[in-house]
Amino acid sequence: MAEKTYSQAINEALEEEMRRDEKVYILGEDVGAFGGCFGVTTGLLEKFGAERVLDAPISETAIMGSAVGAAVAGLRPVPEIMFVDFVGVCLDELLNQAAKMHYMFGGKAKVPLTLRMAGGAGVGAAAQHSQSLEAFMCHIPGIKVVMPATAADAKGLLKSAIRDDNPVVFLEHKALYGASGEVPEGEYTIPLGKADIKREGKDVTILAYSMMLHKALAAAETLALEGIEAEVIDPRTLVPFDKETLYKSIEKTGRLVIVHEAVKQGGFGGEIAAMVAEECFDSLDASIKRVAAPFTPIPFASNLEAAYIPDEAKIIEAVKSFF
Amino acid sequence: MIAGIIANPASGKDIRRLVAHATVFDNQEKVNLIRRILLGLQAAGVQRVWFMPDYFGFYERALDVFSGENQLTMETKLLPMQWKANQEDSQLAAAKMVEMGVSCLVTLGGDGTNRVVSKGAGEVPIMPVSTGTNNVFSVMVEGTIAGLAAGLVATGAVEQEYSLIQTKKLIIYMNGKAVDIALIDAVVLAEQFVGSRAIWDIGKIRQIVATCGESFHIGIAAIVGALHPINKREAKGINLIVSESGEQTRDSTQGSSIQVKAAVGPGLIRSVPVRSYELISPGQKVVVRHVPCVIAVDGEREIFVGPEDCAEVELVQTGPFVVDVKSTLNRAAKKGLFINR
Amino acid sequence: MALSKEQMLDLYRQMRMIREFEETVAKFFSQGQIPGFVHLYIGEEAVATGVCANLEKQDYIASTHRGHGHGIARGASLNKMMAEIFGRADGECKGKGGSMHIADVELGFLGANGIVGAGLPLATGAGFAAKYMKTNGVAICFFGDASSNRGTFHESLNMASIQKLPVVFVNENNMYGISMSQERHQNITDIADRAGSYGMPGMVVDGNDVMAVYEAAEEAVKRARAGGGPVLIECKTYRHHGHFEGDPCVYRCDEEVNTWKAKDPLPRFVNRLQEMKMATEAEINQIDIEVKKIIADAVEFAQNSPVPSLDELTSDVYCD
Repeated sequence: MAEKTYSQAINEALEEEMRRDEKVYILGEDVGAFGGCFGVTTGLLEKFGAERVLDAPISETAIMGSAVGAAVAGLRPVPEIMFVDFVGVCLDELLNQAAKMHYMFGGKAKVPLTLRMAGGAGVGAAAQHSQSLEAFMCHIPGIKVVMPATAADAKGLLKSAIRDDNPVVFLEHKALYGASGEVPEGEYTIPLGKADIKREGKDVTILAYSMMLHKALAAAETLALEGIEAEVIDPRTLVPFDKETLYKSIEKTGRLVIVHEAVKQGGFGGEIAAMVAEECFDSLDASIKRVAAPFTPIPFASNLEAAYIPDEAKIIEAVKSFF
Repeated sequence: MIAGIIANPASGKDIRRLVAHATVFDNQEKVNLIRRILLGLQAAGVQRVWFMPDYFGFYERALDVFSGENQLTMETKLLPMQWKANQEDSQLAAAKMVEMGVSCLVTLGGDGTNRVVSKGAGEVPIMPVSTGTNNVFSVMVEGTIAGLAAGLVATGAVEQEYSLIQTKKLIIYMNGKAVDIALIDAVVLAEQFVGSRAIWDIGKIRQIVATCGESFHIGIAAIVGALHPINKREAKGINLIVSESGEQTRDSTQGSSIQVKAAVGPGLIRSVPVRSYELISPGQKVVVRHVPCVIAVDGEREIFVGPEDCAEVELVQTGPFVVDVKSTLNRAAKKGLFINR
Repeated sequence: MALSKEQMLDLYRQMRMIREFEETVAKFFSQGQIPGFVHLYIGEEAVATGVCANLEKQDYIASTHRGHGHGIARGASLNKMMAEIFGRADGECKGKGGSMHIADVELGFLGANGIVGAGLPLATGAGFAAKYMKTNGVAICFFGDASSNRGTFHESLNMASIQKLPVVFVNENNMYGISMSQERHQNITDIADRAGSYGMPGMVVDGNDVMAVYEAAEEAVKRARAGGGPVLIECKTYRHHGHFEGDPCVYRCDEEVNTWKAKDPLPRFVNRLQEMKMATEAEINQIDIEVKKIIADAVEFAQNSPVPSLDELTSDVYCD
């Protein structure tokens, strides 16, 4: 184990998978000599050459669309869309092409691509460069959605995503790129669809992913000082979703707080809450709480942005409302 | 004092773009060219210009900038006719313009376009502005200058002896009946389809009958130019027999082959194996020897000759009258037409 | 372009097959036996036929919503295509795709597509894959006049050009985007004019002349295979039927339709073959009879195929 940043872990996963399988290539804006807008692909051009690390013109539609075509033709593209906010520009290629080909062609086509995109607020990037749009993706049958919170998970999940025969949307949090953690060396994968209990507890279950996992863990430490032991679960993959781990935890704690950075209205937390209400109602001792962003575009001014992003205090407040 | 403009919206787009780096001449550029021609015509004193209607709408597009202060002082009119988006449009338009009293026809297109226009133009002179690919009949000339020269012809300001050349042409006969003409060349190809129309596969050529060809020409005329140059004015033509590649080629006198290196198309310099050639005189008919075949006239595969057909090509001196830009403008200058004291 | 008599007759057979297939689909659609929408290729057969006759096993094609002709020309199973259009279990896509999503990836047929202009980046990607894997393959993208107004057209041609991909962009200019005529939907008449702005050659060809299309595609494919990069071939053609079956076609006049019907690629080619003594009337009739039988068999196959089982509803959403 070595201490690595989230960004280095992703870079390592890309490098390992490119060495493992010649069909893996990277395509995106400024991913070559520039090393990616956030430096994630640094050094890969030197290692693999311009035939496998391709700088693309600012043409999200062609990046995503050509990746779909190449994937159907047998390659394993790893396209990068710099900010998840730009996915609107290539949504057809994701929504109507990548996601549907396997089904609408009667199971005969495979689209093994991994679309990497950076999301999340906290860096003063304002309304068009800060969103968390995972709920969009989770509403499309045919694609898998992964949102790692730690460096180790980012590496293990990305390697699995690249090996998966389905289109996988891999959502990185831009404010986590510099965050460090222990990362296993070499071959190391985490299956898609498997949640991880990041902290054990008996009084309340907090489900949080991506950046919010770290806020939830901090909140749990504070709550512990007051005698409330929170169990913190990171689903890591939203589609497929690991219900079993969550339901087991709720059976133990009887209480659920769902935390995500995306706006609450229509957020994936609503889907989880509904799922729990339908399938796990008897285990609940109290109503489900959601901590999420207000229904508004993301503001620029630092104080407004800070107020927008769900924080430790809001999580603590939600948990305390149970007691 | 009346001129006509016939612009071919389909020229400059055939397969030679793909196989021979040929010029791409998009229609927007032709619009700009027409505007410059119009300004030239107007400056020369033309009072009315007739336009051939077409599917692209050159008339409307060229004129939409001439409004307000930029309004043309001469009259511009669209010929009342239905276009069909094929060659017949140009022929019909030329004939109608002659009826309307047009005294000079400005064409935008290649040799193929002019071949068709000349069928309807009668004795009205043509100012052929090249927008095609490899042209001998139509000339690469700045539009403004072409407009001025055509205007000086249309208004009669320059005498015809200075301004015009009567060209030659070829008449193609099928089983004794005249079916088509060519202004520069009729090329016999060992093919059975017109395909993408343009000639670009030189290996298919079996015979060439040409009215002219000089060393500086591009296209089939270049073969003639390399072998035995003939200019547009000389009262003769040429008939070449081309060998099939691989066939033992023989000069008619020496018994050895003649490989003629020529720029047979833009970016396409090839050695053509010529087996024999003969000069032909006006009124002389030559027989198409290779049947079945397709005859390309002025670069476009056009006429099918079936296995039992007899095709002949005749050289005549009654081709269309063409504006000689340099001579026209030199004469105008000499007459002081551009000087205002 | 030296085709043997057999190859010429194959071109005819292919066009006749598409025509017969489409007329049969029209008949069963009007009888209510085919659900959904169908967009027929009648009138445009020379394009798919002339282009696909130049392809090899490792090549790809991306198609459009008007895709039956492309699939047939690429060699997809007529039985399975017909069954798919009827929504049956033995269809190309188990009855789950329908007319607009027929595909056969094994054959390099990347699918018809319900989104106008969506095939452009797909073909670009397939061309990339061919180059990347050094298969010597090319990708053909069939697309219509109206899709040349989409952003996918711009981005794909640009990307294919900068990456020098073996892609042949085959524009089927049938002069209409649904009801909007080309003169209303773009301010140019030759889509080939756009090629130059991407740094690739563009050319116009008579899309109702199968030999002209064949010849243009032959050169384009040869060039792409040799690493010469992409080209744009615009084929001027016309759909005899409406945008979809049931379209009242209020946006075009009979005179226009009749002008184009007079340029119908099938009789044109037959006349030529006969004039050149390449085929007798008896040989042509024989092909017509064979084709009718093949299509009738395809209909029988489709009608005898069961509807998909309900398990199929949620299968194939993901691969295992």
